[in-house]
Amino acid sequence: MPEGASAALLGALREIVGPGAVLSRPEDLLVYEADGLTVHGALPSAVVLPSDKTEVQRVVRACRAHGTPFVPRGAGTGLSGGAIALEQGVVIECSRLDRILRVDAENRIAVVQPGVVNAELSKAVAPHGLFYAPDPSSQLACTLGGNAAENSGGPHTLKYGTTTNHVLALELVLPDGEIARLGSPVGVAPGYDLVGAVVGSEGTLGIVTELTVRLCAAPERADTLLGIFGDVVSACRAVGAIIASGLVPAALEIVDKRTIAAVEASVYAAGLPQDAGAVLLVELDGPARAVARQLERVRALCAAAGAREVAVARDAEERQRFWRARKGAFGAMGRLAPDLYVHDAVVPRAKLPEILERVCEIGDRHRLRLSNVFHAGDGNLHPNISFDRRDPDELRRVTAAGEEILRVCVEAGGVISGEHGIGTEKRDYMRLVFSDADLAAMCRLRAAFDPDHVCNPGKIFPSTRFCMESDPKARGYDRVELA
Amino acid sequence: MSAALRKLIDALGADAVFIHEPRAVEGAKLEATLRPAGGEALAAALRLLSEEALPALVRGGGTRLGTANVPCRARVLLETQGLQEPLEIDVEEGVARAPAGAKLSALRGALAGSGWELPLDPPGSGTTLGGALAASAVGPRFASPRDVVLGLGVALASGERIRCGGRVVKNVTGYDLAKLFVGSYGTLGVIEWAWLRLRPVPEETRVCVAPLEPGADESALAAARRPSARAAAVVDAALWPEALPDGASRALVVELAGDAAAVEDDERALASALGVARAEAGAIDALRDAQGAGPLRVRIAALPGGLADAAAVLRAGGGAVLTHPARGLLWARFALDGPEDERGTEGALRAAGEAARVAGGACLLEAAPVAAREGREVFGGTSATLALERAVKRQYDPLGILNPGRFAGGL
Repeated sequence: MPEGASAALLGALREIVGPGAVLSRPEDLLVYEADGLTVHGALPSAVVLPSDKTEVQRVVRACRAHGTPFVPRGAGTGLSGGAIALEQGVVIECSRLDRILRVDAENRIAVVQPGVVNAELSKAVAPHGLFYAPDPSSQLACTLGGNAAENSGGPHTLKYGTTTNHVLALELVLPDGEIARLGSPVGVAPGYDLVGAVVGSEGTLGIVTELTVRLCAAPERADTLLGIFGDVVSACRAVGAIIASGLVPAALEIVDKRTIAAVEASVYAAGLPQDAGAVLLVELDGPARAVARQLERVRALCAAAGAREVAVARDAEERQRFWRARKGAFGAMGRLAPDLYVHDAVVPRAKLPEILERVCEIGDRHRLRLSNVFHAGDGNLHPNISFDRRDPDELRRVTAAGEEILRVCVEAGGVISGEHGIGTEKRDYMRLVFSDADLAAMCRLRAAFDPDHVCNPGKIFPSTRFCMESDPKARGYDRVELA
Repeated sequence: MSAALRKLIDALGADAVFIHEPRAVEGAKLEATLRPAGGEALAAALRLLSEEALPALVRGGGTRLGTANVPCRARVLLETQGLQEPLEIDVEEGVARAPAGAKLSALRGALAGSGWELPLDPPGSGTTLGGALAASAVGPRFASPRDVVLGLGVALASGERIRCGGRVVKNVTGYDLAKLFVGSYGTLGVIEWAWLRLRPVPEETRVCVAPLEPGADESALAAARRPSARAAAVVDAALWPEALPDGASRALVVELAGDAAAVEDDERALASALGVARAEAGAIDALRDAQGAGPLRVRIAALPGGLADAAAVLRAGGGAVLTHPARGLLWARFALDGPEDERGTEGALRAAGEAARVAGGACLLEAAPVAAREGREVFGGTSATLALERAVKRQYDPLGILNPGRFAGGL
């Protein structure tokens, strides 16, 4: 249990945001002990909820004056421990900066505050025939500031790209308390692409207080096709065939048998066939006639890969139901066990069949309940391990299997995270992917923004005193205790 | 200098180091040219340049040498065309690892028949991959090199060789450093190779052209936003006289590409709305050449809604304009009466500055004689985040040996 913030710092924070927007009682802080990855926990010393950028700036300066690190947090839906405060830091929650400041339909951009919920933006711009493309499964809760920190993806990033492809400009409170405006709404700004560097930096380079994002034109037609397969490996083969054919569906998602069972037993039930080994959800969007033609090509490719049946959603309502089932899959897993560990490795898509076989074998060998629901079109696996952390032996097996899975994926030419980020969760595995020189090069960026390591310290980099080589002021962190 | 050059010869071999009479390039006097034959040699060269504090002008194909601030404070030329490790194309995956020294034309040739194409098409024959990425060079079809790069191999100023990103299409494993190097004009590191995300060759491609009345900007924007439009430009007659019907002052050129049915539908829609007629596929190459030509050329980036006003200002100032309506980009070419034409230069730059101002956009002086660039910020004003950018530069190139003085803000 941390000591809590000093009375002086708490006083300063209350002065800035008002007493109601500072949380410091242990029972209030408990909510912030973890993000969506519940096995990594650390209590913050305080939580502060600023309502505008000036308050964010003053909070940052107050933390600095008191030598306390700080961590930006959106909705806390992240899955890598990125939004937890190590070192008794202060959590700066951005949920009150929740306004859509401007929608410019003619130029297809929107200016938003970081606390705007992802799905709310698409809802707000729908009357203009526009939408915001990145759509993480948590889009009904997660915020755009958090999406920018994590470079979030989602099912539709196969065609439309991830958050980094959609953020044009950022306003950022830098770790020294200065406010910087990076990038430009016109998409081209003189100087280095600092927007590109900040998006995906997991809240370690500053606190985003405003985003200018690109909006996309809603397609004339979208169809969702359901390929029903006897096993997950043949569904993966269909994915490889679709990619190699040059088709670019809006989404290509695989849901395996265990996941189907969990979903169908939950409120997200969509009538997915429970006797199937896996279903492949294919969404095609674009001009109506093109979609109709591509649907036939996908149907043939699925059949050739061994689909026992290929069904097309009959109407918008059924289509929505399929997607609710897909996006609700993580929630439905709660039915299987108290805890869920979600991996996020990415592999070349052509290697999906063999990798999936090995992933399943690893789960079986460690006697774990492993299920797969993932962005197959991006090669982005999400092996989900359902477990009970109160069982120390099972927790040990979960960790061991996870590490094995990551190694298999990296050996196949992959990486350890496609959209969830490194956070505290995978920082010890960064050396599977990168050399010390590669990591030191990342630390140089960190040193340019945050030489004192006060902004979300302890994330991304291996837990040895890694960044010290490129920045002697950096401090090292030991492995986070598993709760 | 001579002791330093001797060390370079020892490290790279005599056939990779050329000592010559001081040569004036970009305001610098270059006393030697280095042509490292691969990544290791490049790293060795950079290590020595760092040790000797000897700054270098980094050059790929040389097609964008003039898009930079002057004078460059370099003393040697570092050429990257020797970075030629074998090209690796993964046709199942639609990705390729390509060396920085490869010419884009060679990469296109190697991809022919694979079902995939290179989503980079900047003007300039001889442009190398490394140069195109370092300069974030765009063309009529593909406007975003940053989104094409999946991973990079980079040699830092210290001589350390690093890798960022990877070969997979989705990746948040650590900082996205590739974004930092793409578009940094070689001031943070030298790109050795890149993993690129290819695009499937479209099933159908058609180019359509129509004369466009002045004031038809909204129609042009609507055309450029057709679902299958992958290149769309409004081009002034002066930039492309042979393609225009008699008497027309400007033309709309659209390339439709993708699903055959979508292309057909879009072509029909454009024919009925604007009277477009089918043109030869080579029209897009002509469009690319029009973009890259001229002794004095500016590029303005603005919101689509601001382009028409900017174009009007540029035309009034004597510029011939090429607009990409949906992308918010335009180029204006100005004639000069020789490289010393100060009046012509002044007039053109005044118009460009005014155009950027009315459009609320950013102006890049893409080409101009060295004399015209002296004392000017080619990248269009100083960045509001210059202190931060200086900190980044100091981290990656503390001694300032990579293209010193060339980039925005004199970085």
